[in-house]
Parts: sequence; structure tokens; C-alpha cells
Amino acid sequence: MKSSALNISENIQFRLFLLFAVGLLVYKLFISVPGTLVYMLVSDLLILLTIAFLFLSLISFFEKRKASPFSLIMNIGILNAFIFFLITFSNSFMSLLFDNVNERINNPSLTSVLVTLVYLLLIVGFVTYVLVTLRHLFFLRQSKSQQVYFITMIIFFILASLTAPYLSDTKFAFICDTFLIVSVLLMVINSLRISWIAFIVKKEKIALLILSIVIAILFIVNLNNTGEETLHSQMLTSFAPSVNEFASIVMLYGAIYFSVLFFTTLFHIPTAAAFDRKAEEVSSLQYFSKLITQVLDFKELAETVTDITTRIGSADASWIIWKDDEFVPIANKNIGFIDSEKISKFILKKIKWDDINDSTFIRLADLENKQELSQPYKVAAISPLRSYGDVKGLLIAVRIGEQKFSEEDKSAIATFSDYASVSIENSQLLEESIEKERLEKELDVAREIQRKILPEKNPEFDQLDISSVFIPAFEVGGDYYDFFKLSDSKLGFVIADVSGKGISAAFIMAEVKGIFESLAKTYLSPKEILIRANDILKHTLDSKTFVSAAYGIIDMEKNQMKMARAGHCPVLLLRGETAQPVKPSGIGLGLSNEKQFEENLDESTLILEENDTIVLYTDGITEAKNEDLEDFGDKYFTEILLENRKKSAEELSKKVIKEVSMFSHNHMQYDDITLVILKWKQKIKIDGEKEWQSSAPQL
Amino acid sequence: MAEFSTSVVDKGDISVINLSGYLDAHTAPTLENNFTELIDQNHFKIVVNFEDLAYISSAGLGVFMAYIEKIRDNKGDIKLTNMNEKVYNIFDLLGFPLLYEIFKTEDEAINKFSESDGIGTK
Repeated sequence: MKSSALNISENIQFRLFLLFAVGLLVYKLFISVPGTLVYMLVSDLLILLTIAFLFLSLISFFEKRKASPFSLIMNIGILNAFIFFLITFSNSFMSLLFDNVNERINNPSLTSVLVTLVYLLLIVGFVTYVLVTLRHLFFLRQSKSQQVYFITMIIFFILASLTAPYLSDTKFAFICDTFLIVSVLLMVINSLRISWIAFIVKKEKIALLILSIVIAILFIVNLNNTGEETLHSQMLTSFAPSVNEFASIVMLYGAIYFSVLFFTTLFHIPTAAAFDRKAEEVSSLQYFSKLITQVLDFKELAETVTDITTRIGSADASWIIWKDDEFVPIANKNIGFIDSEKISKFILKKIKWDDINDSTFIRLADLENKQELSQPYKVAAISPLRSYGDVKGLLIAVRIGEQKFSEEDKSAIATFSDYASVSIENSQLLEESIEKERLEKELDVAREIQRKILPEKNPEFDQLDISSVFIPAFEVGGDYYDFFKLSDSKLGFVIADVSGKGISAAFIMAEVKGIFESLAKTYLSPKEILIRANDILKHTLDSKTFVSAAYGIIDMEKNQMKMARAGHCPVLLLRGETAQPVKPSGIGLGLSNEKQFEENLDESTLILEENDTIVLYTDGITEAKNEDLEDFGDKYFTEILLENRKKSAEELSKKVIKEVSMFSHNHMQYDDITLVILKWKQKIKIDGEKEWQSSAPQL
Repeated sequence: MAEFSTSVVDKGDISVINLSGYLDAHTAPTLENNFTELIDQNHFKIVVNFEDLAYISSAGLGVFMAYIEKIRDNKGDIKLTNMNEKVYNIFDLLGFPLLYEIFKTEDEAINKFSESDGIGTK
């Protein structure tokens, strides 16, 4: 909406300009009472309005484009050259076109009016364009609004040009002189506001110095040419007297502006180099802050690092050799992979990875096959990138050609590599903490699964004192135990350990629970149950995963326990003062096919005696380690069990866990710990007769 | 955790993998890589020497299961040798002696390969 409104007003301004230009022509052609004051005043007003509208439409044209001060100055230079040629042309060739110029001026014909008008419009156009460009230069990089100064100056320009032709030879000459003096004062004031000069680099400043003096001279020459005695000025004055005055004033303004510009630039030159470096430092700071925001993505960070290195170190190319990637170049900037790899190999041969403390520089002169490089790289700057004190990578910057890295470049690269190290370290810390968090979330899920799978409480029987303890490891293992109440007098129990750890082990454990839940209700022999479980798991588990398990059934009517073992730790039977491992043969679940599994699976049956204690456990107990990485061990385990055999199942279990945790308190618990204890109480028959069937366990 | 490392030595057409250190879920990928490389090179007669192995976890045992089928399909085998008592007990508990040939020395395992070759050619 705004731009279309602007377009319309711009269009109107331009049309008004054309209208007044045509009006001027009509006025000149048809109303010819030359010499009178009113006639002259009307032409002046018409021409000033023409200029005004041209000025306005040119301003809105300028607003739309973002011109650099340099291109603006070039514009002014070119326009001045045009004006110069136009004036020279008019002075030398006009007389050839018309036999008697002076007479033509006083006594105009159609052609002479047309030619003069075209000439006038050209001059007016160029001069206005110069003024608008100067205005644009004036407003460039101004921090505060300086509109008032400029507008005041323009008003005085108009006043001075309007009054000069009519009052200069009268006693009121002081009026136009005052206007002129005020104009000149304002010109000087406005010319002093050249703030954009600080923002251009040294090279441009030198170019500007030459340009400004040339343009200032051009302005002075043009100003001189618009002097009263020239043909040019006569032509303009005859047409509209104030135009010539106006053109002169603008030329004067230009001359002053560019003279001031010349001296300003001259004073800026000695400090230009220092200023440039400061500016570079400021922009480097911006780069560094860019680094901080990019710690989230290592690859992106590496690319920013090499990008900035090429800029601040004035290098032709840059890359990083990173240790984790087997010294492969990464984040290549301005260089192909093959070139960077060749140079990297050469560098790694020349310097010792761990010895590099500071930035070093090596010449690539004795690089073998250097003619194979696509560019004649001559010198390389190498800076270590450290993380946690270790050199994790090398930041390489190379230069084509003979010019070495300057001291400033060296220190810039060295400083930057320190910053980059910090950023890389941060990035890795962040990555680690994200990974840790992810892992912890996963572990929480695994623990939750495990907690829900294991029985909430132990079943209760008159003849059995049962305790169970489960302690998960930090990195959840795959321990599982369960009880199945098969009838009022029959209890099934299982203990199992899934190979592997973490969430995958937890899921398999869930599967194993499902399998035993359903099999326990279908089959009444531990051997049969394990055979079926093996069938299922052999097909569902991947080849490297397996489950060790022991399954048993206690028949309280018969005082009998049957059990089978599939690769699990033996079940311990504490009887009297001995601990006997019950270890019928059997291969772990999921390891072998049906036939092989069945052929090698035995079942033990034992008749239970008063105070018989059955201990089920996983290797988390026997393989618990102390600070010297010694195992808790079977021997110590059975010793503790026997010493405390008279305690209740609960107390015995507590004692064992206490011993295990004391033994391994200086070492992380690496595997789940499961301990299930079943203590047999002989059933007292109602008639008071003890059912007493004793037999040695079949091992 | 303690370190784990492997080295592969070719003895005739038999490849011997020497294990040392702790073989568990975290170090198992090293051994997995050894097996994958040998299978890629069509080396199916493999002897694994446990002489310097201090400990093996269930995940470590799983590595042998992962490749045995493919190796036996290609008329090869994995034979295990020089286990210390503790490591042997872990294998034994799970019934591995029923699934793998386990020898006291590397030479016995290599001879076994040669013998079965001899039988094969007769």
C-alpha cells in the first residue's frame, strides 16, 4: 500500500515537472515581450517550479535504491563531466549553429527557442541530479535527523538565485548578497557533516582522495564557466535569469563539499589501517558470538570455525583434522577433499599430534607430488583444538602463493583456535549430557518394565517361608523371577537371566514372563516347560541373545521338588550343615535346537526335609566385585548361607545382601542381583504323625 | 571398565583370534568385527584362544552364537581353546561344551581341523 502511494505521488511529481517544462516552452513561444521584468519573473517562477518537481521526483527515485557513497561520488563526477562538456560545447558550437547569437537571443526564432530550452533542460536536469546526489550523500549514515539544515540551505539557494538577477545592480544588492553569504555559510556547515567516511576501508579512502580532488576541480571549472561573460550564461540568462544563478550556487556547493571531503579524507588516511583492523576485530567478535550459538551441532560448528579462520587469518582455505574421524579432513572451506587430505597427511608426518602446544607454521615446499594439488598451496598454519586438555583436532589454514602469514594473521588464527576449542568442548559437553539424559530416560523405562514384571509380593503357604530380593543394576540387567500358584499344594517358581542389558533385555524379560505364565498353567513338568520355552525363544530371539533359567515345582502333598535347569546358576540346597548345588544338565534357552536341547536336559527330583532351604540366585551375587575386581564368589556365598542357615528366609536373605553390598561397596553394581529363598516347613499331620520321607537328593 | 583387545593370526587356512581382557556387552563389538571380517574373507575355520581373557559376560557369549550358524553352513567351525577355569565354568554352566568343541591347547584345535579335513578328502 505504502509503495503504491509513493508511486502515485512520484508519478504526479514527474508529470508536473513535464507539465511545467511544456508550459515554459509555450510561454516562451507565444508570449514574447522580452526584457520586461514581469516576463522574466514569470519565466523564473516557471523554471523554478520545473526544477522543484524534478528535484522531488528524483528524491523519491533515490530513496528506493541503496547506493554506496562510492557510487554516489562516481555519479557526481560523471554528471560534472557532462556539464563541463555541455558548457564547452555551447561556448564553441552554438555560434556555428546560429550566425548571430546575440541577435538570436534578443530576437528569438522557433528553432533558437527550442534549442535553448533543450539546452536549459539538460543543464537543469544535470544540476538537479547533482544536488539530489549531494543531498543523498549528506543524509548518508547520519545518526540524527539533519533535515532542517538541508532544507534551510535549499531555501536560501532559491532566495539567492531569485534575487540576484534583479537586485545585484541596484541599491538593494545587499539583500541578495546576504542570501548568498548565508547560503555559503550553510554549505560549509552542511559539508562538514561527512560521517560516512569512517565506514569505508583504507583502499577506498585512497581512491576517494583522488576522486574528491578531481571532482572539486571539475566543480570549480564548471563554476567558472557559468560566469557572466560566457555564451552559456548569456543563453540561460536570456531565458530565465535565475537558472544560471542557481546552477552556479549548486556548483559552488559541490566545490565546497568536495574540497572539504578531500581534506577530511586526507586526515582520515593515517588512521585508516588501524581503523580497519579495529573494524575487523569488532566483526570477529560477532563471529565469536556466532560460535557460541552453534554449539548444538558439531558439524555446523566446525564449518563456522573454518569459515571464520579463512576470513580473520586472510587464508585461502581452511579445514579441520579431527581425531575421532581417523584424521580425515572435515569442514573443508575453499578446498577440495583430495587436496586437503594430501596436505593433512604431510602435516601429520611433520608434526607430532600430542606435542603441538601452540600454533605453528610450516612451508609446503617439500610436499611430495605437490604438482598434483589443484592450487599451489605454499604455507600452512596449524593450530591445536583442545578439549579437556587433550588435542582433539588440528585447525589448518593454508595460503596460495609466496606471501607468508603476517604476525597479525598468526595471532588472529591462534586466538581464534582457542575460542574454537572452547566452543567445541562446550558442544561435546552438551552432546554428552543430552546422550546421558537419553540413556537415563531409557533406563527409567527399563526399570519400570522390570518393576512391573516382577511379583509384587511373595505367595504364602503354611509349609513355605519365602523371601525374594531384587536389586537392579544402574544399567538394568535382565533378571527375572516369578512364582506360579498351580494349586493349593503346588507352587511353580522360576528364575531367569536374559543375556545383555538395558531396554532390550527388559523387553525380552517381559516376553519370558509371558512364556512362563502360559506354560506353567499348561505343563506340569519343569523339563517340559523348559523344552517349550526353548522352542519359542529359539525362534523369537536373535542369534546372539539367550536366556538362562531354572524352573521348579514344589508339591506340598508329596514333600517333593522337581526342577530343571537351562544354563542357569545351580540351585543351592541347604540341608543340615551342607550346601549342595542342584545342577541337572541343560543348555541355555535360545541357544540350541529342539532336539539337542531336549537330549541334554535333565530333571532332578528331591524329597524335601524339615528346614531344607532352597536358594535361587543370579550371577549378580557371585560375580559382584570389590575394588580389586575380585569376585564375591561361590565359596564365600555358601559360607554365609551355611553360617546363617537357621535364620528365617527373610533374615537370611538380608544377611546375604548385606555381605554382598559390604564386599562391593567400592565398585559399581554391574549386574542385577536376584536372590530367592524358599524354606521348607514339614507339614504336621492332624493325627500328629510326621510325614517323614527322607531321601538323598538326586543331583 | 577394563580394556579388551583382540588379535587375529592366520595359521595356514585356520584363523586364530586371541582374546585378552574383559569381554562384555561394551567390548563385544570388537570381537564381532573380527568375525565379520573373517567371514567376509571366506575364512570359516576359526580358533578362539581364551588364554588372556579374564572375564566373559553373557553378552560376550552371545557373540559366538551370532556367527556359528553361518560358519557351519560354510563347512567351517569355531573351536575354543585355552580357557581358564573361571571362564570355562561360565561356558559350562550355559551348556556351551555341548555346542562347541573346547580344547586345552590351540594346537589340539588346529589338529582337529586338519584331521576332519583329512577325513573329508578320503
